[in-house]
Amino acid sequence: MSLADLETQLRPVFLSALAGDASAYRVFLEAISLRLRGYLRHQLARAGRTEPSETEDVLQETLLALHLSRHSYDPASPVTAWAHAIARYKLVDHLRRSGRHASNLPIDDEAYQLAAPDMPASDARLDLARALQSLPERTRTLIDRVKVQGCSVAEAASAAGMTETAAKVAIHRGLRAMARLLTKRRAL
Amino acid sequence: MQTDELISLMATSSQPVDTGWLRRITWLAAFLAMIGTTLAVLLTLGARRDLAAAWASAPVLGKVLLGASVAGIAVAVFQRSLRPGLSPRGHLSLILLPITAVMLWAVVVLARAPAGEWANLTFGRSWQACLISVVLYGLIPFAAMIAIARRGAPVDLRLTGAAAGVASAALATIAYSVHCPEDTIPFIASWYPLAMGLMAAVGALAFPRFVRW
Repeated sequence: MSLADLETQLRPVFLSALAGDASAYRVFLEAISLRLRGYLRHQLARAGRTEPSETEDVLQETLLALHLSRHSYDPASPVTAWAHAIARYKLVDHLRRSGRHASNLPIDDEAYQLAAPDMPASDARLDLARALQSLPERTRTLIDRVKVQGCSVAEAASAAGMTETAAKVAIHRGLRAMARLLTKRRAL
Repeated sequence: MQTDELISLMATSSQPVDTGWLRRITWLAAFLAMIGTTLAVLLTLGARRDLAAAWASAPVLGKVLLGASVAGIAVAVFQRSLRPGLSPRGHLSLILLPITAVMLWAVVVLARAPAGEWANLTFGRSWQACLISVVLYGLIPFAAMIAIARRGAPVDLRLTGAAAGVASAALATIAYSVHCPEDTIPFIASWYPLAMGLMAAVGALAFPRFVRW
């Protein structure tokens, strides 16, 4: 699918997602991760990194960043450009932290214009799982119920004795803490 | 954690998002920082003695206008730079319009004055004080902009930093105009833009270190 087609398809979906439509948001995230996985794998390969788990790690970090930066999207601008700019930032950050100098990063700025092949998901390393382990018990339990047991947030919230909104806020904070941890982790 | 697990976690826990918040908070913070910086100048340096008579004079209004136009452009670029996918890099050079205008005005003033007056008109009695004050008081809005940048998603940290630096110095220019006793256009056209340039460099160097996300 060309970038323009993807944009036409995804823009209204993402706008509904921003208005609070969870199923539209899922459609958006699934479509954009297919695209970004291809982009990231291609760019990482250019940098000599061919381990699929590394692609998946950067993809997860990017998705987390997209999620936490939704308020930075300008509704008048292309959503694919927004997503690619964040992916590129996270990729450069990842390469820099894992031992390359910023000046010779072989990032191809035009590469995302090309139709990226759909790639199957592969296993991530344990980065995100490790970040999850560092969360407070209560938040982790909440996330585990929703993520692994496939509960709705409402079910997980009542099991934890909180309101649905409080549970969403707690999960949001948990995701933010995980993102912060991923950013710090390779800083030294 | 698998990627599809992460996706369903994010989708099921998502709430409506306000995409206008970043814009509102940026402009509000810039305005409040300008008020706060002006108060800081008044409390620490005091107003110029003739402020009541001079506030509407051309040089004071010139300083305020220079500061306001540069700050307006730089804050707009700063705000847009917190949104990935927009590339406002080229727009920052719009600040050269008001700066060039005041410099041309200064050239006209110098051309009409005898050559012996040029140094006086340009350096005044307090050019070091002006330079140091605008940079130091500019740190107040600068701190506010670092705090806001951390809440956005700046993907070009040098640009965000440079815009924040220029905006801070421009807001401090407005604030310092209540104290600055220098009323010549060549003075205004030299030291205020120089302070803005210094703060732009400070921002471009500081942001990549302090605003990584």
